[in-house]
Amino acid sequence: MFTHITLVARWCLLLLLCIPVLAGLVGVIFPALGYFPAIGANAFSTQVFATLFGLPDIWQMMWLSLFTGVGSTLLAVIAAFCILATFYQSSLLGKIQGVLSPFLVFPHAAAAISLLFVVSPSGIFAAITTRLNAYFSHAFTSPFVNEISEMALPAANDGTLLYDGLGLSILIALSLKELPFILLMTLSVMSQPLVKKKLTGYVKVGTALGYSPTASFFKLVLPTTFSQIKLPLLAVLVFATSNVEIPLILGPNNPSTLAVAIMHWFNHIDLSMRLLASSAAVVQVAVSAVAVLLFLGTERLVTYIGKRSLSGGNRYFADGALRASGFVIMAFYIILICAVVYTVVVYSFAKQWHFPLLLPEGLTLLHWNTAISALTTPFINTLLLGVLVSTTSLILVLFTLESEQLQPARAVASNAFSVSLFLPLLVPGVAFLYGLVWFQQLIFQNAVWFHTYVAHMVYVVPYVFLSMAVAYRKFDNRYAMVAQSLGKTPWQVFYHVKLPSLFSAIMVAWALGLAISFSQYLPTLLASGGTIPTVTTEAVASVSGSSTRLTAVYVIIQAVMPLIGFMIAWYMPVIATRKRSRQMLVSGTHSNRSANPVQ
Amino acid sequence: MLSLENVVIYRDDKPLFQLSADVAKGEVLTVMGPSGAGKSTLLQAIAGQLQAPFSVTGQIKVNHVVINDIDVHLRKVGIMFQDALLFEHMTVGENIAFAMPDKAYKNKQLKHDAINTLLVAVELDGIADRNVNTLSGGQQARVSLIRTLASEPDVVLLDEPFSKLDVALRSQIRSWTFSQLKARNMPAVLVTHDKDDALAAGGNVIEIL
Repeated sequence: MFTHITLVARWCLLLLLCIPVLAGLVGVIFPALGYFPAIGANAFSTQVFATLFGLPDIWQMMWLSLFTGVGSTLLAVIAAFCILATFYQSSLLGKIQGVLSPFLVFPHAAAAISLLFVVSPSGIFAAITTRLNAYFSHAFTSPFVNEISEMALPAANDGTLLYDGLGLSILIALSLKELPFILLMTLSVMSQPLVKKKLTGYVKVGTALGYSPTASFFKLVLPTTFSQIKLPLLAVLVFATSNVEIPLILGPNNPSTLAVAIMHWFNHIDLSMRLLASSAAVVQVAVSAVAVLLFLGTERLVTYIGKRSLSGGNRYFADGALRASGFVIMAFYIILICAVVYTVVVYSFAKQWHFPLLLPEGLTLLHWNTAISALTTPFINTLLLGVLVSTTSLILVLFTLESEQLQPARAVASNAFSVSLFLPLLVPGVAFLYGLVWFQQLIFQNAVWFHTYVAHMVYVVPYVFLSMAVAYRKFDNRYAMVAQSLGKTPWQVFYHVKLPSLFSAIMVAWALGLAISFSQYLPTLLASGGTIPTVTTEAVASVSGSSTRLTAVYVIIQAVMPLIGFMIAWYMPVIATRKRSRQMLVSGTHSNRSANPVQ
Repeated sequence: MLSLENVVIYRDDKPLFQLSADVAKGEVLTVMGPSGAGKSTLLQAIAGQLQAPFSVTGQIKVNHVVINDIDVHLRKVGIMFQDALLFEHMTVGENIAFAMPDKAYKNKQLKHDAINTLLVAVELDGIADRNVNTLSGGQQARVSLIRTLASEPDVVLLDEPFSKLDVALRSQIRSWTFSQLKARNMPAVLVTHDKDDALAAGGNVIEIL
């Protein structure tokens, strides 16, 4: 009975991942080919594509998406490997994980807004530069020349990267956000028991043969792990080529990236623009596919060159340069984090904060009060949606993982399953979400909560699965065998043995699901048709609003919400354990036998 | 009693070995062989926990009933591994209570007494409320043994249960295990590398290659 239920859950999960994505793609392909009955377009043609490619900026848009996507991913991958090569055998590794982990759950929108704060012409870096200029001119010239500090201002202005036509600001912002993900994901692969055992052995052999730590990382560790991180890397790449929040907040407007243009066209009052948007969505899929091909091509090239250098026997691998860049990148992250935290927190309490002062003039709780009253409904929506989505995906994922163990699928089926798990992450959201909305409006027009729920599930389930699967497959199955041989049904084994043993991993997966749901911008906006405001959608909207200080409060709330989820996840198991040991103490049988065991 | 009739274990449809044996109540059958020969796989086949790529043919009978197609949890075949595998989220007493058949005891007090009786038998009285993490290796091994006995199995399978214990402890735990099995008149199959284990078990020895 329970076995059947888990099997059903497995199918539900599969369909939940595939149907929305495939339906969504169909939903943009039809309008792209000129079929959109709602506005009287009934004939199939390639006219829409002709119009699209007739636009003066279209190639520039495509280039921007491709350049920022591929560039940021390559940069992030190289930087992540630099850090890993430098630190993976050092005691600092744990600290680095600690520094970078919060980035993982920091929503993209919040990241973009924070960067906007610190690198804007009136941001903290510009202020510090100006002050330093002023100080040095003061010190080195003469005490009475004050004009120089005033003159330093425009120079800081010119140095800004924001909204640049090349898309460098997008590229850097995406890299900053991707690096922690790539790094932590690689570490999680490296820490799988079997992989870990193998790698430890490899490194020992490498060291014994005289290879430096960086050389053994690039020549032994990386080639062994890369195949396992390839799929997640491709997901990162596709996300980078099609992300909306970061280019919307930091990128150029004329032209923007393709994804941002698609969003604007879809949301245009003129419904006929939807045809154009749909065709652009199809082109977006192609752009992301080209990015994937470029990435795979690069991988081939690097493998080819790498293979030849393997037999070269060089014991070093640019050790000095790599170590230096590893430290520099980490230092950069720490400085950036400090700057962001300082700026955002101070802004949220500032009455007035004039450039280039490093402190505001007066503090106030006004922005917090305003934000709290404005965010009550969005906050409740976010929480409700998050808890609902995360809890149901967790149940579905746990049943699916259990079904894998009760009835192992054949190799082909399990491969198909892991690909479909990545399907929502490998198809650009901006491409399929609009098509999905079109279908949803056809079927249940008024069920906006349901639609938003489904749109969130599509993104939350894969992450919850990936997070949970590691712990679940690590679990020593002999415990389950023992319990079964004690006469326990599969359900009893699952409920009484597996769930309690995996409690902390389950809570972490739950918190992760919560965080992913909190951070969703486009899926929330589209599936709800804007009728379910969440903290994230409000934060993005507030960027174009009047009050920087209010936006700062929104960013803080966005950052703190997922962290609270993780704190719950960390403390719940601790509390549960403490409660158990307290019960034991109360029962009074805690004798000193443990100190003097009878053997 | 346990009867294995023409039991053949396959790996990917390739037969590993063939085996027929009868194990009477209170007797221990010892199966020896090099690693990778499929000793543990045989135990998993009897317990019903065989996983791909392995499969089994032939008849496995417990008290003259063929159990090949009976669900794992209904077979009443207890299994023990080289690790004690006590559930860490339960106390010692809870581990044992978890193993006891449903509604075997009328009330909590009777169940509590039964748990204590079992603990006394292996000289561990009074540790029912202890956290399993606080036990020594030898204590864990004994708790694991009485947990298996508490489930009142018809057959007990021992998968190298003494191999991780140090030499001093090994013979003690071993004699405890065999005397408990004999006292309860349970048939058992022991898989081991160690000739001393086989000698101590005192039953038939089958070597597979």
